[in-house]
Amino acid sequence: MKKNGVKMIKINSKNVDVFYGKKQALFNINLDIEENQVTALIGPSGCGKSTFLRCLNRMNDVIDICRVKGQIIINDFDINDKSCDVVRLREKIGMVFQKPNPFPKTIYENISYGPTIHGMAQSKNEMDEIVETSLKKAALWEEVKDRLHEPGTGLSGGQQQRLCIARAISVKPEVILMDEPCSALDPIATAQIEELIDELKKDHTIIIVTHSMAQAARVSQNTGFFHLGELIEHGSTDKIFKNPENKKTQDYITGRFG
Amino acid sequence: MNKNKEQLLNKRYKAEKRFRLYGQSAIFMALLFLTIFIFKIFSTGYSAFQKTWLIVPVTFDAELMMLEQNPSKEDLKDADYYDIALKSMADLDPNANEDQENDLKRMVSYFFEREIKRELLNDPSLIGKTKDVYLTASDDLDQVFKGNYPRDLPEDQRRVTDYQLKIFDQLVELGKVESKFNLSFFTYPDSREAELAGIASSFMGSIFSILVCLMIAFPVAVLAAIYLEEFAPKNRFTDFIEVNINNLAAVPSIVFGLLGLGILLAVFQLPRSTPLVGGITLSLMTLPTIIIACRASLKAVPPSIREAALAMGASKMQTTMHHTVPLSMPGTLSGTIIGLAQALGETAPLILIGMVAFVNTIPGSPLDPAASLPVQIYIWAESAERGFVEKVSACIMVLLGFLIIMNLFAQIIRHKFEKKWS
Repeated sequence: MKKNGVKMIKINSKNVDVFYGKKQALFNINLDIEENQVTALIGPSGCGKSTFLRCLNRMNDVIDICRVKGQIIINDFDINDKSCDVVRLREKIGMVFQKPNPFPKTIYENISYGPTIHGMAQSKNEMDEIVETSLKKAALWEEVKDRLHEPGTGLSGGQQQRLCIARAISVKPEVILMDEPCSALDPIATAQIEELIDELKKDHTIIIVTHSMAQAARVSQNTGFFHLGELIEHGSTDKIFKNPENKKTQDYITGRFG
Repeated sequence: MNKNKEQLLNKRYKAEKRFRLYGQSAIFMALLFLTIFIFKIFSTGYSAFQKTWLIVPVTFDAELMMLEQNPSKEDLKDADYYDIALKSMADLDPNANEDQENDLKRMVSYFFEREIKRELLNDPSLIGKTKDVYLTASDDLDQVFKGNYPRDLPEDQRRVTDYQLKIFDQLVELGKVESKFNLSFFTYPDSREAELAGIASSFMGSIFSILVCLMIAFPVAVLAAIYLEEFAPKNRFTDFIEVNINNLAAVPSIVFGLLGLGILLAVFQLPRSTPLVGGITLSLMTLPTIIIACRASLKAVPPSIREAALAMGASKMQTTMHHTVPLSMPGTLSGTIIGLAQALGETAPLILIGMVAFVNTIPGSPLDPAASLPVQIYIWAESAERGFVEKVSACIMVLLGFLIIMNLFAQIIRHKFEKKWS
């Protein structure tokens, strides 16, 4: 999105290196993410695109042997700084995973969990409202409004993934990270999620990791191409797909490897 | 070439058939042993749930009882019942000489005058009247009536005299011998007299021990397991701890008994023979079982649930307490119950800390001396009287019943509350 003709940068990463033990997984990544746009990260398996995504909400902290170097600046604040509070960070930056992972609780409890732990609702009514708007935004309300108190794990795969998206947006995050959100879904469910992503970018900045180049072309405005832990090329999706600068990007997009 | 292939195929089919046969015969053997075992216990033990009573007319003679006119309740309690008790037995055979009178007295249980006393306390108007009173038969006659006693042995090798048998047979013919449900087996504490011995003391002892064990082992084990699985760094030190927890689970139970003896009794001077000490000792044994079960069920919670909670901005503590631990509880609880069932059947450590002592009172708290069910089995199995043989089997039946119920409960918890992962 452009304000006064200037691109608004939401996330600014500088010289990010990631190590798993002694093995280096990411090399000197410099990538800017535009606000209220969809940025797709593409690349062959094991190229580090998911690793980079998980740097953005510090999910790599969970892995003992993982070390992250460099700066990732969100809202003028370096999230790798010691003073950064991970809980606050993850409240602002939601995440949707590859495999739908609803809590084995009711649909209502799945959505209300985030607002509850962050103290976002003062009353039952307010919570009901948050649950309803989140489900509506995730285009799931009509399908589940009569069974909010049934287990979320009883939904179909596509519905579960939309439930996870609803859960992620329930705390009104500024950024939503999606790690191959459609890889476990059928084409119809995938189309629904893609429509949803387009809708969500009005309020959120979205970064999506995907294996499907067609999906990247369909949903994203910007694309970054990763290969062997390096960011080979990034720019507008149009440019990357139609007129890539780098030979490797071209080879990957035209299906010569990957 | 083709023929070779066919032979090979046939060989494979035969191998599979053979393997199935081996498996089936193994299961058949196991079932056979189990059936023999259960049959043996039931056939020996079922008769312990019946008790033989002699119906004897008792005359409540105020003079013999040393009672004044219009006695108070207190007087009735203090009265002398031994003489009327003795007289009512002697009256069974008016022609009996002194030896025979002694024999007659031994036909009923050792404390038969208490049964007469209870009768009068229930109905003080009986003074001066005669009433048929149910008296517990001696354990030997009890066995005779149940057909467990070899009557054809020579008299000097029997504990029942020919005279006693004669009188007893007369009573049977008159319908004065009755077999009724043996309630006292469940309500009486242990006794040296087989006909009066019950499991109340050891049953309560077992319950108290298990409660103490549960209250100590469960919180400690669950906290240890959660810390090790969710919070502790994975390094050599925690690996070392893990190996040693597994080692602890394999330590013979008698070693824990020695520990209880050497530390709880000798150093801390806790009261001997009590369920408190027994429970603490058993909790040491149960601890590794629960830790292992709890860690296994924490491990079984998919990492995606933890990631989901963390990504929502839950702290490590919230993730663990709101999601991981509740999801692991069914497995932990069923592991705990199985651990407790093991502890319930444990004998050796309890013998070492003195719970093998003869206890003829029913414990009211974990601080009172008590036995436990498996130790009771051990004590009775050592006793010489024929009457204890069926009691051993009956006690085993109670213990087995208890264990089966506990294991069933563990299964139900596991199946009912275990979450299915989508």
